[in-house]
Amino acid sequence: MTTIEKAITPDIDDSHYQSKTLVCDGNEAAAWGVALARPDVMAIYPITPQSSLVEYLSQFVAEGIIDAELMNVEGEHSVMSALQGAALAGARTYTATCGPGLAFMFEPYIRTPGLRLPMVASLVTRDTLTPQCVWGGHQDAMLVKEAGWIQMYCETVQEVLDTTTMAFRIGEHPDVMLPVNVNSDGNYLSYGATGIQLPAAPLVDAFMGEKNVNWHAALDPERPMAIDPLTGGAGGPGPSMFANYRKSQCDGMQNALRVIEETHKDWGDRIGRYYSPLVEEYRLDDADYALVTIGSMTGAAKDAVDLARDQGEAVGIIKIKTFRPFPVEAINRALSKVKAIGVVDRSVNFGWNCGPVYQETLAAAQRLQRFLPSASFIGGLAGSDITVEHFSQVIEDTAQLLKGHHYDEPIWINRND
Amino acid sequence: MALGYNTITFNPDKCDGCGDCMRACSQAKAGTDDPVHSRIQILANETPSTGEQQSPIEMAMCRQCGDPKCVSNCPAAALSKDLSSGTIDWDSSKCVNCLLCTVGCAFGGITYNVEVGHVTKCDTCDGNPACVKVCPHGALEYNTSGSVYTRIGDKEDLFVPGLSACQGCNSELLIRHTLRNVGSNVVVATPPGCIPGMGTVGYNGKTGTKVPVFHPLLTNTASMLAGIKKQYNRVGRDVTMLALAGDGGVGDVGFQSLSGAAERNEQQLFMCVDNEGYMNTGMQSSGSTPAGSWTSTTPVGKEMQGKRTDAKNMARIMMMHNCEYVATASLSFMDDYYDKLDKALAASKRGFAYLHVYAPCPTGWRFPAAETIEVCRKQVESNFVTLWEFTPDQGLQFTRSVDKPAPLADYLKQIGKYRHLNQDQIDHLQRRVDNQVKSLKAFEQTSAVS
Repeated sequence: MTTIEKAITPDIDDSHYQSKTLVCDGNEAAAWGVALARPDVMAIYPITPQSSLVEYLSQFVAEGIIDAELMNVEGEHSVMSALQGAALAGARTYTATCGPGLAFMFEPYIRTPGLRLPMVASLVTRDTLTPQCVWGGHQDAMLVKEAGWIQMYCETVQEVLDTTTMAFRIGEHPDVMLPVNVNSDGNYLSYGATGIQLPAAPLVDAFMGEKNVNWHAALDPERPMAIDPLTGGAGGPGPSMFANYRKSQCDGMQNALRVIEETHKDWGDRIGRYYSPLVEEYRLDDADYALVTIGSMTGAAKDAVDLARDQGEAVGIIKIKTFRPFPVEAINRALSKVKAIGVVDRSVNFGWNCGPVYQETLAAAQRLQRFLPSASFIGGLAGSDITVEHFSQVIEDTAQLLKGHHYDEPIWINRND
Repeated sequence: MALGYNTITFNPDKCDGCGDCMRACSQAKAGTDDPVHSRIQILANETPSTGEQQSPIEMAMCRQCGDPKCVSNCPAAALSKDLSSGTIDWDSSKCVNCLLCTVGCAFGGITYNVEVGHVTKCDTCDGNPACVKVCPHGALEYNTSGSVYTRIGDKEDLFVPGLSACQGCNSELLIRHTLRNVGSNVVVATPPGCIPGMGTVGYNGKTGTKVPVFHPLLTNTASMLAGIKKQYNRVGRDVTMLALAGDGGVGDVGFQSLSGAAERNEQQLFMCVDNEGYMNTGMQSSGSTPAGSWTSTTPVGKEMQGKRTDAKNMARIMMMHNCEYVATASLSFMDDYYDKLDKALAASKRGFAYLHVYAPCPTGWRFPAAETIEVCRKQVESNFVTLWEFTPDQGLQFTRSVDKPAPLADYLKQIGKYRHLNQDQIDHLQRRVDNQVKSLKAFEQTSAVS
């Protein structure tokens, strides 16, 4: 119990409960968020732009800041596999990956939610091949949105740290028991350095509470059981058993909406920083129309909205933090305030010729039972920047919807950069 | 109490009637070459022909029967079965020379010796039989498998009865033996294949194993076990990690995680149960399928005569990882297997241990279910399978001689999946077997560090 205290507050005195200011990038912030959660087992494999994150973790282990088993395995597939094993033996587990690494991890990755194993895996999001690229984008995370992991997208470096720690408690909640992806934008958050507050470890320890990750499924000679017998088929108890497994997994996902809100509230009460846990509304109450954003792009979007407001445009922002489970009610509370939306994606839904956030938002909006004019914007692919100027154009294009304009196709933000 | 004993075995096909064994016995028991004193008698087979092919040679010697008629016939209690060694002892001080014992024995195992004036019989030279040592053809062997059953027979069978393995499958036999010896302080990983297919991890909420057991993916067995072990080490608990994987989960898609775990020297016992293909899903070819084999994905037709490429030798590949312990084993040599299982378990407490067990499949290889153990034995006797063990310090050591192997063709002709082989294919396989043995022997000479 001395490890993090040593790093954060060398002397046990009043400063023990003080936070400490750091200047760091998102990858280091994630590593600090992990340290505060005190994992038992971490398995790592480097991949751009995640690599410095696992380097920080390794350094923290080397220095004794994190007291955990660190497994340097031979690939992401084994990363996820080793962590599943560790979790089934009772460990709090962590890793980080992205892009091709996530693709290689996919086979065991899709199994973690089915085993109902709480686990945190940061996705330092990266666009996917091909074209060959190593830069940021949401295509990797969007490809796994149906895998059953909770997904939260961060806007700032501070939020990366805070959300990483919170994610352990969210996933381990007995009503949830699911793995969590904490998504931070590759390049923009991973390498963007800024001043942040590192919470005091004793406060976080009190926040985290007791760990019990394998009460439901254990590989333990003291509690012998078979993990994952063949289940299903067309006869006998299989069909209902399989359906009930799936349903309970969906129930856990829905429970997560409540738990994510409660956990963010408790974090705010104890640590002093509050976030909109599901959906953030920015200058929305008197808005005629809104941008829908996700991740770090929201900073530039807010600046552009402020400029537009100065020009008299009644525009606001609906930022999605929790993308899985999709916060239908919170989104619709926000959507009900506006007459049109422009949804900005950093990835593509090939089948629908639009962005995935756009598609999901419209799926929620159909429950409003009114027509909501909308446009899909796609930008920020493969590390390209969505600037304030880009967002000003997005605002202009979205405003056209109020005048009856209709877009048949998505608008490609960086296409003419 | 389960009882099984060591025994002298005789293979008439290998015997040329030279009589060395009889001379050795006479020397050991009477200090003379006179075969009248020999308790083993090699004889011309004078049994009337039944039409079936039969050996021209037979052997008369005490079988140390479990229900000995010589003992029950003896009116003077001069004969008795020693329950610790299994031999039938003759007590000269009680014998009344009635010879009723010789009437009871159907094997010519106890006979009247006119030179000494009383019956004599084999006492196995107290477990070190002189006849076996001198046999120049390997026709006589001292088989110690039986003692295995005495040692482990009373241990709990941790596998439930009534599992649905194919008739004649040796994997079920292997699992029962292995779990008995490993005990219950274990986590067992059985990736998809025949082993979970027979119900090891169970169906729809019911399990086939009395210890913690799980389905890893086909691809990640070693990694999952590594993670489990890390957490138990962290909390200070000594739990054995055991993988029972088919050759696909070892050498094909399972290979990356296996190689990584071996390189990291993860503490686990990883066992490959090699049936040379994907037998559970309909006998498709794998990287362990030998050249020429018929499988459902290397069929026999005008353009293809079975698998076109050789199998990879996973045991050798794992040896090159310099693991704590690597060995090959066959279920026809159970004492050898148990010896290696003990060593592998001990090694798995220090680091990575790998056992490659050859598992002929009656269903997929097309041979009668009753012949599984015989096929196992012929694999070894032909050097198609070699039995050896490896440690980083001692290097490779054969645990059974690879000299004077039987022709490979004798093994191949017993198995349906090789039925179509032409002479070129048979010659190719024989050359490969010879080359494998040659290079293993060379490695045996050079691999020991100390």
